[in-house]
Amino acid sequence: MQVFLQTFIGGMSLGAIYALVAMGFSLVYRTMGLVNFAHGSVVMIGAYIASTFYLSVKLPFALAMAVAIGVTGLIGIIIERVLRPLENKDFDLMLIGTIGFGIVLEALAIIIWGATGRAVPSPVPAAPIDLGGLRIRTYDLVVLAIAAAATALLVYFLQRTKRGAAMQAVAMDHQAATAVGIHVGRSNAMAFMIGAGLAALAGGLVGPLLYVSPAMGGLLGIKGFAGAILGGFGSIPGAILGGLGIGVIDSFAAGQFQGYSELVTFLIFTVIIMIRPTGIFGERTVNRA
Amino acid sequence: MRIRLGAIAALAVAAWLLPYQLNSYAMHVVNVMLLYAILSVGLGLCMGIAGQINLAQVAFFGVGAYATAVLTVKEGMGFWTAAVLALLATAAIGLVVGTPALRVQSHYLGIVTLGLALAFTNWVTNSTLAGGAEGIPGIPRPTLPGVDLSSDYLFYYVELALFAVTLVFGLFVVHTSLGRRMRAMRDDSLAAGAVGVEVPALRMTAFLLASVYGGVAGVLYSGLIGYVAPETFSIANMFLLLAMVIIGGRQSLVGCVIGAISLALVREVLIDYPTYAQVAYGTVVVLTVVFAPTGLAGLPVRLRGLLHRRTTATASSGLTPFRPYDPAGTTGEPDAPMLAVRDLSMHFRGVKALTEVSLEVPAGQIRGIVGPNGSGKTTLFNVVSGLYRPTAGRVVLDGRDVTAARPFALAHAGIARTFQNLRLFSALSVRDNVLVALDPTRASGTWRYLVLPVGVWRRDRALRREADALLDRFGLAAFADNLPTALPYGIQRRVEIARAMAARPRLLLLDEPAAGLNGDEVRQLCDIVRSIRDFGVTVVVIEHNMGMVMSLCDHVTVFAHGAIIADGPPAEVAISPEVIEAYLGESMAMPAPVASEVQG
Repeated sequence: MQVFLQTFIGGMSLGAIYALVAMGFSLVYRTMGLVNFAHGSVVMIGAYIASTFYLSVKLPFALAMAVAIGVTGLIGIIIERVLRPLENKDFDLMLIGTIGFGIVLEALAIIIWGATGRAVPSPVPAAPIDLGGLRIRTYDLVVLAIAAAATALLVYFLQRTKRGAAMQAVAMDHQAATAVGIHVGRSNAMAFMIGAGLAALAGGLVGPLLYVSPAMGGLLGIKGFAGAILGGFGSIPGAILGGLGIGVIDSFAAGQFQGYSELVTFLIFTVIIMIRPTGIFGERTVNRA
Repeated sequence: MRIRLGAIAALAVAAWLLPYQLNSYAMHVVNVMLLYAILSVGLGLCMGIAGQINLAQVAFFGVGAYATAVLTVKEGMGFWTAAVLALLATAAIGLVVGTPALRVQSHYLGIVTLGLALAFTNWVTNSTLAGGAEGIPGIPRPTLPGVDLSSDYLFYYVELALFAVTLVFGLFVVHTSLGRRMRAMRDDSLAAGAVGVEVPALRMTAFLLASVYGGVAGVLYSGLIGYVAPETFSIANMFLLLAMVIIGGRQSLVGCVIGAISLALVREVLIDYPTYAQVAYGTVVVLTVVFAPTGLAGLPVRLRGLLHRRTTATASSGLTPFRPYDPAGTTGEPDAPMLAVRDLSMHFRGVKALTEVSLEVPAGQIRGIVGPNGSGKTTLFNVVSGLYRPTAGRVVLDGRDVTAARPFALAHAGIARTFQNLRLFSALSVRDNVLVALDPTRASGTWRYLVLPVGVWRRDRALRREADALLDRFGLAAFADNLPTALPYGIQRRVEIARAMAARPRLLLLDEPAAGLNGDEVRQLCDIVRSIRDFGVTVVVIEHNMGMVMSLCDHVTVFAHGAIIADGPPAEVAISPEVIEAYLGESMAMPAPVASEVQG
């Protein structure tokens, strides 16, 4: 039981990161039906920028994070702008286009920061909290708290603000949204920007948990994406649950299967998708003829 | 044609003489390049032709290479025995990786296959069987009697031969029945199912093909390099492969080869600056999808299109009148129901699109189905043609229960349909659109491609003649080589009916066939439908054009709110009070507040 809980809690903090990544995926997907395969690379860029400003420029961690969010938001806008001609036309091509962006971002990261990674020290150096025999790292709590706050902000934005509502409208029917005077392109750009911002947040937070390297994006992106699909693609609560779920599966797989944990995680994920392609909260999509 | 043959001969001679011009390093580069070309052709078949996103091609490559390595080095088998077993193993893995395609498509399939590819690299980096991160060295070079394959120069000819065989086989697949059905499935899987294409089996076939191509490349790789390690099969190389296929043009196998060769060359030129090369090809991928989605292979067509833009406007002039079918007299007992629907309900969550609908259509009837928008007419068609699995109730076709059968099985059983919003295969010519439906080949007959390619070819020629006869009957002969999207709307409608008839149905479902047609075209349509009925086909037609329904249909069924509210001969139904109410509303009892809301 002790081990079980410890593994579970261990999975939660990485799960929270996956959840942030998944939210970015889902937000972009629900507004424009696009899967952003460059998302993982944006996470990686976010991690590098945050760690650079934190370690080299010596900004406070929170400020470094804000810079990272700003820069990646800009990257998000650029990706959206370039791929805009394909929007609502050919999703497979757009998907491949984002893969192209991912390739470019990863290469740029190697050019700027080098191929070797770097370790980022935890910004909260306190000793782990002991809770009835369970050891919880304080930084894990910080991650969970920030992820929760970001989720709350996003939900508030989508449901209580005019721009958020406009984005929801575009998600439901982009033509009808155009008809009532919403600038769909601008709304999509905003979704992309927020998605990229969430990616940077995830990247900044994951720095002290993992090693920051140009290759980190692939795995984080795929696991975040898996989380988004697991929860039901396009659903915000689904993204959170799915992300946490993948984190926990990951953590147990690592405990049980050591080196083979990734293999196991992806096999489990494949089986789940085959049983329930729509995920936990996903809408049942109906073929229209 | 002659120019093309000449070009092929010239290329073959150049390929044959190439080794004489190269130093040993360049020879090695070319050998690796050919492997990429084989991989790209396999990926192109799966992604470009069959439309199945496959990000596991590099894992197929890896399975082939690793299986050969393990079997030769650890089990001590001979190279060629190991190669055959490795190919079988890759094919098996291909089928496993392809299974998710039965359930999910597009981006879901992308992530699942990518995940499985990562799982593969994860496995080989950890497994002691696969040598861990160090990989497996010391794979013996294959031997052929009389040929010293330890020389890269001679190994080149083995690769070249295999490359030629795989490319020609791929092209053969693309241009005959199997490839045509795959392309139809790529363009519109729903419509493909509705004309009898066994979509699930073809998706698996696509992955099988991709994996066998990956396996061939893998076997050759292990023989060529003599050493396998995990990083060769990394995701970065998967994306490189993807870039080759996209830049070359995924829908053309020759394009895939061009993409593979040019990208491999560029990478070789920039070998000292690998990251800059990566930036470059990533950028080119982005530019390609935005500005030239058909890739390098599509450029000539696009350029020609730019030059001849004005000459395509006169397309509609070639339409000739429909030549009626020979009446078939009576088929079977006249009053036996061809289609019987019993207590059919279809609910989408809370929305009840159909509630306990029952109707019978006797053989040889033209049945009209009318009703306001959203009254469940198209839902009925979708259930009958197998797109939806009904919540409750039964569908019986000519005495046989076909409830919830797969669309392709229903097409084989004799149901054909058209779609409200036209679902033609947009990247297939009009002739190919008809050919897909005309083609009785089943997925289980795919083995013929290996054993009897000549038979496949002959059969295809015969089908082609049949298709041309059918197009001629429908007056469409002039458009046989056009893409449907380039044709006027009325002609597209007619192509869709021709395609439905090509499947030789017993029951034809027409969903708003007159929508968007002018008066003249509607009259022609009526003649076509009557002739189809006289030919012995039962017709059910959803239509809003009441004039057409009145004159064409023997019997009319009226839907409202997912239920039948009237049923009878057209003249009787038209004056039924329920029908008038459903169409015009209960005008006398209109509640006042509604009117004021409208004003406010």
